[in-house]
Amino acid sequence: MSKVYNILVAGVGGQGNLVCGRALADASCAQGLRPVVGQIFGASQRGGSVYTHVRIADHDTGPLIPRGRTDLLLGLEPLETLRAAVDYAGPQTTVILSTMEVRTMATRCEEDRHPSGDEVVDALAAICAKVYAVDAGAALKTIGTARALNAYMLGALAALGTTPLPADNIKASLAEIIPLTGMNLAAFGAGAQDIMDVTPVGRNV
Amino acid sequence: MVKSGLREKLMSGNEAIARGALEAGIGFCSSYPGTPSTEITTTLMKTATEHDIYVEWSVNEKVALEAAAGASWAGVPAICPMKSLGLNVAADFLLNLNLSGTGKGGLVVVVCDDPRGHSSSNEQDSRFYAEAAYLPLLEPATCQQAKDIIPYAFELSRKFEIPVIVRSTTRLSHSRAAVKVGNISKRKWSVTDGLPERLYNVPNPHLRHSDLLEKLEIISQEFEDSEWNSLDSRDSTNLLTVSTGICLRYVEEAIDLLDDNKVGSLGLVTTHPLPKKFLLKAMKDVDNVLFAEEIDPFVEDAIRSLSVNRPSGETPQFHGKRTGNVPAFGEMNTDILMEAIAGIQGVDYEPHDVETLAAVEKARDLLLARSLTFCAACTHRNVYWAIRKVRKKLKGNLVVAGDIGCYSLGIFYDESMNSMQAMGSGIGTACGLGQLGRFGFNSKVVAVAGDSTFFHACIPALVNARHKNADITFVILDNSTTAMTGFQSHPGSGTQAKNESHVSIEKVVNAIGADSVATGDAADIPSVVELLHKTVLKKGLHVIILASVCRLEEQKRVAGYDTEPEVYIDLEECSGEKCRICVDDFGCTAMSWDCEAGHPVILEHLCVRCGACVAVCPHGAIRQR
Repeated sequence: MSKVYNILVAGVGGQGNLVCGRALADASCAQGLRPVVGQIFGASQRGGSVYTHVRIADHDTGPLIPRGRTDLLLGLEPLETLRAAVDYAGPQTTVILSTMEVRTMATRCEEDRHPSGDEVVDALAAICAKVYAVDAGAALKTIGTARALNAYMLGALAALGTTPLPADNIKASLAEIIPLTGMNLAAFGAGAQDIMDVTPVGRNV
Repeated sequence: MVKSGLREKLMSGNEAIARGALEAGIGFCSSYPGTPSTEITTTLMKTATEHDIYVEWSVNEKVALEAAAGASWAGVPAICPMKSLGLNVAADFLLNLNLSGTGKGGLVVVVCDDPRGHSSSNEQDSRFYAEAAYLPLLEPATCQQAKDIIPYAFELSRKFEIPVIVRSTTRLSHSRAAVKVGNISKRKWSVTDGLPERLYNVPNPHLRHSDLLEKLEIISQEFEDSEWNSLDSRDSTNLLTVSTGICLRYVEEAIDLLDDNKVGSLGLVTTHPLPKKFLLKAMKDVDNVLFAEEIDPFVEDAIRSLSVNRPSGETPQFHGKRTGNVPAFGEMNTDILMEAIAGIQGVDYEPHDVETLAAVEKARDLLLARSLTFCAACTHRNVYWAIRKVRKKLKGNLVVAGDIGCYSLGIFYDESMNSMQAMGSGIGTACGLGQLGRFGFNSKVVAVAGDSTFFHACIPALVNARHKNADITFVILDNSTTAMTGFQSHPGSGTQAKNESHVSIEKVVNAIGADSVATGDAADIPSVVELLHKTVLKKGLHVIILASVCRLEEQKRVAGYDTEPEVYIDLEECSGEKCRICVDDFGCTAMSWDCEAGHPVILEHLCVRCGACVAVCPHGAIRQR
């Protein structure tokens, strides 16, 4: 078997996780690769953790990334990104992390138990090669919608260019799934721009 | 790089099964939604008109299977997809139909199991139904196979005139991969005149059983050289893995990552009845066999019993769930199998270096559980809030027998729902609880069910409650859709498809004859508290039907909420940290807490301006303008 490129999208139900997975898979198909997408939907969409495994190879693989073997972790929410990293990240992993939190019901009551943004980034940096933390919250506030997080994060991923998928392919595939105009397009562009200004932290920087 | 051909499409396992059904030339599909099986029927329903097939969401899985059998008896190929728990509901009929037969049309039951119970109330391996019903069972390993196997399953069903079970699991049903599609041919079947003979098993069911066992023996022979099963084994192989379903992919990757060329791989798709000779031959010269299957040791046990009384020297050492090499619960994955293979082969395997492992363990300590919760503005939250209020008024003496649906999340909401079992079990268990006053049980008994669940399994229990005068209040949360599984219609849905009729829950309840039937609005918390409190204090059988709203379904219909009056916090009135009732107790996800300022904040992008929280604040600090 030859090399598999593993992308893991981690977030909370309702963040557009499945759309990210679909866009990345379609972009892989567009360049003749054979993606396999593993995901869970159903009850988890009611506010639980949602992971999408996108495995890109020239052959069919199983739907789940083996422990520690994620190449790119697209983190839509800090706590869920950390949870995904514990199970699936390793020294080769690049992380793109949105710092915008979706607090759990419990931590709204017991504030001090929730890890801070810095704690999450530090913990990720200790496991992974490079961690790019992007302030999606600020960008989306400027744009005027919190519902374009997936477009913003895909824009960042496309611009970073560490995956085998060219930015244009990702953009074209996303445009097939959601209307990539107005605020969605602005978010995609903002993500692409913001990531360029981020200094990564991690084991390999 | 393999170019994706024009005829290749990215499909989920469920979409592939639906495509397979179309290529098999089905004419009929009946089903009840249930994760992870739902998208099979959804996909067929979308193209029903184009392909001139009949597709229905039936009232429950038993009726779905009965309807599909009716079609098959009359010559129409029928598919019946369901989730694991659905097969429990349909099993009574299945274990009669197996003996009577399915006639000329062909009937394929697709059951999608949910290892780990991601979206299920239990963890259940449904393959035992194939054994219990003496029926053929096929377990595809990939999305491609999921499509290809359906036409074969129909062939088998027509040839032997019995149902054939195809089993998927969550990771196959919900994973997507490239699938090479075939042609959808012209209709090859026609409806028969009348029905086949002997669609009953009496007076000698044991003889029909004997006939079926004979068929099963012939099918076992047919499976011996089946191309569905695969074997990758060499002379040097000392460990043979035997995998079913998607576990084959995990095994292949585990062998590749461990780079151990002494491990062979047998992928078994025809898991009942077993191809005995094929298996015994494959195992003859290997020292060890490792089983990779989800969830129970189904094939493991069958192969172990096959090997009893075999000549010594021809039976390998078996490793699997019975020996503890792999867990006997939960999902299988590549890591579990890498560890098991490394253990048997006596090699070291560690997924992380020391430094990474330390960092991973440190990160793990920071993690917090994220429990499932009601959506922002979900009216189920309002109802459970009301239940908590009433329970408090009754000094805790109120029990709530719950049911299956989004409202099951009530168990995570201060356990405002006490029990959650099977579809319809809320009102069913309440039938018992409602008789216990005579023994001194002093809690008021409330049963809760949703609208789709009401039609699925609550009606017989409600009749029982009426007939036996159970002392209970039955609350029906009617949001007019099957919300949990993605908004499928049901008999009580507000809008009905052409050729389908509406069935009123209220009329059904009135016909059964509760002592009182009241309707209410779940969006209005104070009125629900009052109605519920007043009702539970009364003796007898009382029903409350609450008009409810699924916000996810609503958001598919309405453009936005900008025209509704905005919800805001009046900081003059808010008691801040001293109170926190709105965030800690009510907990709408559209509200958060500003830690520095010490007061709640409305999350504008999530708030639908329903105003339910206005009534929750004891200080009148939450307002709408």
